[in-house]
Formats: sequence, C-alpha cells, structure tokens
Amino acid sequence: MVRYFAKRLGMMIVALFLIMLLTFTIMHAVPGGPFTNDRKVSPEVEAALNEKYNLDKPLPEQFFGYLKGILHGDMGPSFKYIGKEVSDFIKDGFPVSAKLGLVTLVFVLLAALPMGILAAVKNGRWQDMAMMGIATIGVTIPSFVIASILIYIFSFRLNILPTYGLDSWKGYILPVIALGGYSVSYMARLMRSSLLEVMGQDYIRTARAKGLTEIKVIVKHGLRNALIPVITVLGPTVAGLLTGSFVTEKIFAIPGLGSYFVTSVTQRDYMTIMGVTIFYATFLMVMTLVVDIFYCLIDPRIKYE
Amino acid sequence: MNNKWDMLPSSNEDREKIWAKNRTFAGDVWFRFRHKPTAIGGLLMIVILLLFALFGPLFTDYSYSAQKLAAVNIPPIMKVYERPDGEGYLHITQGLKLLEVNKDGTLGAQLEKVREQSADSMTIYDCGGTEVGLYYGANPYVVADPESGVIYPSKTMWNKSYILGTDSLGRDILTRLMYGTRISLMVAFVAAAVNMVIGILFGGIAGYAGGTVDAVMMRIVDIISTIPLTLYVILIMVFLGSGLQSIIIALGTVYWVDMARVVRGQVLSLKAQEFVLAAKTIGSSTKTILFQHLIPNAMGSILVTVTMLIPSAIFMEAFLGYLGIGLQPPLASLGTMCNDASETLRSCPHQLLFPALVICLIMFSFNFVGDGLRDALDPKLKK
Repeated sequence: MVRYFAKRLGMMIVALFLIMLLTFTIMHAVPGGPFTNDRKVSPEVEAALNEKYNLDKPLPEQFFGYLKGILHGDMGPSFKYIGKEVSDFIKDGFPVSAKLGLVTLVFVLLAALPMGILAAVKNGRWQDMAMMGIATIGVTIPSFVIASILIYIFSFRLNILPTYGLDSWKGYILPVIALGGYSVSYMARLMRSSLLEVMGQDYIRTARAKGLTEIKVIVKHGLRNALIPVITVLGPTVAGLLTGSFVTEKIFAIPGLGSYFVTSVTQRDYMTIMGVTIFYATFLMVMTLVVDIFYCLIDPRIKYE
Repeated sequence: MNNKWDMLPSSNEDREKIWAKNRTFAGDVWFRFRHKPTAIGGLLMIVILLLFALFGPLFTDYSYSAQKLAAVNIPPIMKVYERPDGEGYLHITQGLKLLEVNKDGTLGAQLEKVREQSADSMTIYDCGGTEVGLYYGANPYVVADPESGVIYPSKTMWNKSYILGTDSLGRDILTRLMYGTRISLMVAFVAAAVNMVIGILFGGIAGYAGGTVDAVMMRIVDIISTIPLTLYVILIMVFLGSGLQSIIIALGTVYWVDMARVVRGQVLSLKAQEFVLAAKTIGSSTKTILFQHLIPNAMGSILVTVTMLIPSAIFMEAFLGYLGIGLQPPLASLGTMCNDASETLRSCPHQLLFPALVICLIMFSFNFVGDGLRDALDPKLKK
C-alpha cells in the first residue's frame, strides 16, 4: 500500500510539473507581453519593467526561477495590480472560498445522504421518484441558471435574501444552494444506487433473518458499506467546493479565489492566472490523494497494488 | 382432415424451427431502446432541437446580429395602453419611450417626443396629432391624457413581432436562440467527434499493443486525468483568444481521456477472443484487426461514452460563455445569451429563461438517450 501511494505521489509531482510547464508555455506563447495591452509605454520603461520582472532572461531560466519561487511560496507579482503579489490574492481569496465551501459541504452532506437513503429505502415508490426527479434536475441545470432563478425569485420578487455578499447568514443561503446543487444531486444518486446494491447482499438477509429491526439493518449494516463509494467522490467534491466555483462567486460578487481567477482571466493578468491555476491543481490533487488514503483506511477490503 | 381425431402431421422441421423473430444485434438494441419512454422522448427532443437550430433561421425575418435600438428589452407579453384615437395601442419601453402597437400585436414606430413636463412628472409624446403623456412619477409608469391626467385603459397582449421578445440591444431572442442552439450543438458535436477519434486511436493502440507501450500510454492518461479540466480549458481559451475555433479546440482536446480508457478496456478484453485469433491466422494486418474487428465490437460502449460527452461539452461551452471568455459578439451561443441576460435579470427575466430552458432540454435529452443506450446495449437486460 505504501508503495502504491508513493507511486501516486510521484505521479502527482510529475503531473504538477507538467501543469506548471504547460501554464508557463501557454502564458509565454500568448502574443504580446504582459505590458503591451496597457497604454503605450516608452521602450525604456518597458525594458525596465521587463528587467524588474525577469522577463529579459532566457525562457528556461525564467521557468526555473519561477519554479524556485513557487517552492518558496512566492508566486510572483500581479501584472495588473501594482504592488500586489499573486500569493496575496490567494491569501485574501482562499479563506473566503473555503468558508463558503465548508458551509456548502455541510449542506451537501445533510441534503444528499438523507435524499439518497430515502430514495433507496422507498425504492420504486413516489418518494424515490420525487428524490430522483430533484436529483436529475440538479444534474442537468447549470449552476448559473439555478443561481439566476434563485436571485430572481428570492431577491428581486420576494425581497427576502440579499443578492450579493456574505455579510450575514442570509447571504450564504443562495450561494450555498447554487454551489452545492450539482453535488447534492450527484451524491444523492450515488448514495441511492450504492445503498440499493448493498441491500441486495447476503449479509443483509442474514441481518434481517436474525430479527433486527429494519432501521438497524439499514443504519448498522447497510449504510456503513454503502457510504464507501460516496467517500470516493468526496475528494474531488471537497476540493471543488473549497476552492470555490468561478460562476457562483461571480454571480454573487463574493471576493473568493474563483472571482479573482475569473477577473485575472478577463484582464489577462498572466502571473495571477498561472499562480491560481497551479494552486487549484495542487489543491485538487492533494485532496484526491488524501481521500484515497482515507478510503483505504476505512475499508480493509481495498488493496492497492 | 375430415376426422378431427386424426393426428396432425408433424415433421422435424416444424418442431425445430425458431418461431421467434430473428433480430440482429442492432435491431435488438433498437427494440430495447424504443421501449424506454424517456430514451425515445430524449431522441425526439434532440431531433426537434436539431430541426429548430438548422432550419429555424429560414423562417425568421430577423438576423441574429442586427440591432434595433427602438425595440429594446420588449417582453413576449406586453402591457399596452389604448391610444386616444382607438387606432391601436401604446407600449412603454424600458428606455421610457412610447412604442406603437398595432391591433394585431405587431410593433409599430416609436412616438416623437414633444416636450418634457417636469412639473407633472410627464413626458409628452405626439400620437397621430394628439398629445399623450407618459407619467413616470410613480411605479408602474402609465400613459395618461396630459390635460386631465386620466389614465388610458390598459391590457396585456402577446408580442406578435417578436414572439420571445427582444434582448438589451433590440435583437430578436427567437432568432438568436436558433443560432445559439446551432452553435452550441455544433461545438458539442464537433468536440465529441474529435474526442472520439483521439480516444479510439489512443485507447485502441494502447490496448492492442499491450506491454510497455500500454503502460506508458496509460501513465500519460493517468497524469492528464489529474489535471483539472476546467482550468485547462480556460488556459487554452486565454491562449487562443475567444472565438468559435478556440472553443472547439479547447473542448476537443480535453475529454478524450475517458474515451481512451473505455476503448482500451474493451480492446483488452476483446483481443483475447477467438475471432481475433482467427483473423490473425488468416493473416490480417494489425490495422485490419484493430479497425475492422476490435473497434466495431467496442462500438456500443464508445457510443454511450460519446452521448454522455455531448452534455458535458455543452455544459462547458455554456460555462465559458457565461464567464465571458466564450464567443465574440455578435455571435450567440446559449451560454453567452445567458450571460447577456443576467445583466437585465431584474427587469427582463424572460431573456434568461429561454436560453436556460434550451440548455436544460439539451442536457435532459442527451442524458436520457445516453441512459437508454447504455441499458439497451447491456445484454444482461435482454428481453
């Protein structure tokens, strides 16, 4: 098992290196330097700027300089906001995104698991149909549409919830639903199918045969095993929720990492795009790996090679 | 056969004949597919959407790009006031102008402004010789007689000129919806096709070659699949700039990883079977075995993966459009239409509703068709 995870870790490092290389290459292949989009600057100023940001060095040297910076937690300066470092954006944005993400995660778990369990227990009846209907809608409607509809109904029409910001608990309601809608639906479906499969197993029949109550059978014998596939998708979900969705943060004007990323993309702030991409990618990969280790610890049947 | 007690003539042929209808595999799949209401409903919906996107523009008088600033943000169901001369109706636009509406519901010209009567909070317009006032002192704004202040009778009526209304630049939403659906579907189909080709080639070669080649190729796939795809697509879009080609390239090069895995798995299990051995024995080349024998046999899973890939491509395209790094205006896609509409959401929710509805319809239909196909191709469920 240790060997397996060492291999995974190695692959992750290779992937990260590739991502950095890719990002770096793409950013430097973009026509025009980072300062050509702005007002016309004199050649001397441009040369000075290039020297300040090490843009006059050969590309490999720049790349390894950048790599060294990242390893020291320095992602370079933002090209559009003078005096701001890319790591400042992450320091400012990530806590906001992470807080929203944690609230959403709690919401997702509290909503999706009961939905899936109810649907599986009442398999084929109207409760099942209703839950799976909601879940299908949640998977097929894009989050920005859900968010816009919610804003229109609850903010513009009923006027009970704010359209932007996270100042009070009320501000969390709409972003949490918009951000978590997809995950709720996806997990509820997964929970349902996995519980249904487990409930067909022999040991469940044994549990029933020895006269346990149905609740005990479901909770103690069914759920424990049915939760394993749900935990697998928890890794990417947690990473996605914590780093924030670009669209949700844009719609609700939440100053999280996602909105910084979108702004930097539209403003072509290359250093920020690079930095945030690498941060995102690292975070996602680490989360997936952590969940896989966790997954292996809770289920002794799983053996990695 | 006069005596009914005689034995019936029976031969071996009768007894051994297979009386059930002999169906091919494709016929079998189609039989199971068509007995699933959601799947066939989804297929019908896709056909209708395709017809709407391909042939709809032939039946409309508007273009997707021509702006008409006199008719901005007109809803599909308008509130209208009767004209004093009884010759039709007047509609208050959001720019606080008065628009003539004919009796059949088509839109006429914009009225000429005469003067501003600030004391009464009224703008006076010339309506066929008589003066009418647009009172903006209180919400909702009304059309009234400037002398007496009497409000003209009002009612709601369908907009016959623009069935789904106009957007914030006065473009017909129905026409833009047709072009938007066309572009979104085209992006999705082309991206799916490109992914399919790359995935089949990559997975097929890896699966058939096996050994070190397979190991190296699959490591590459593993590494690529750890890269968050959204970020990758956004990066490519930043690099290539917005535009139709960039979206197709970005989406076309991203989603092949799953396809490659599926094809490899299929090829790995198929290549151990006897028909491949037979093909090898008669001296078929590797190319023939791979493309004539293995890939056609794996087509079922490939088709399911492709049908599931199309909604994700549409999702991604809409997402890019919504972030504002998708198409260049005035081209419309469903995502950019949603993005444009979100700015005027408070006053014109219909502008968001229609493109969002089409996105949902596409997502539903492809998901249903994909589910139906998967069930139909599964021989365990054979009836």
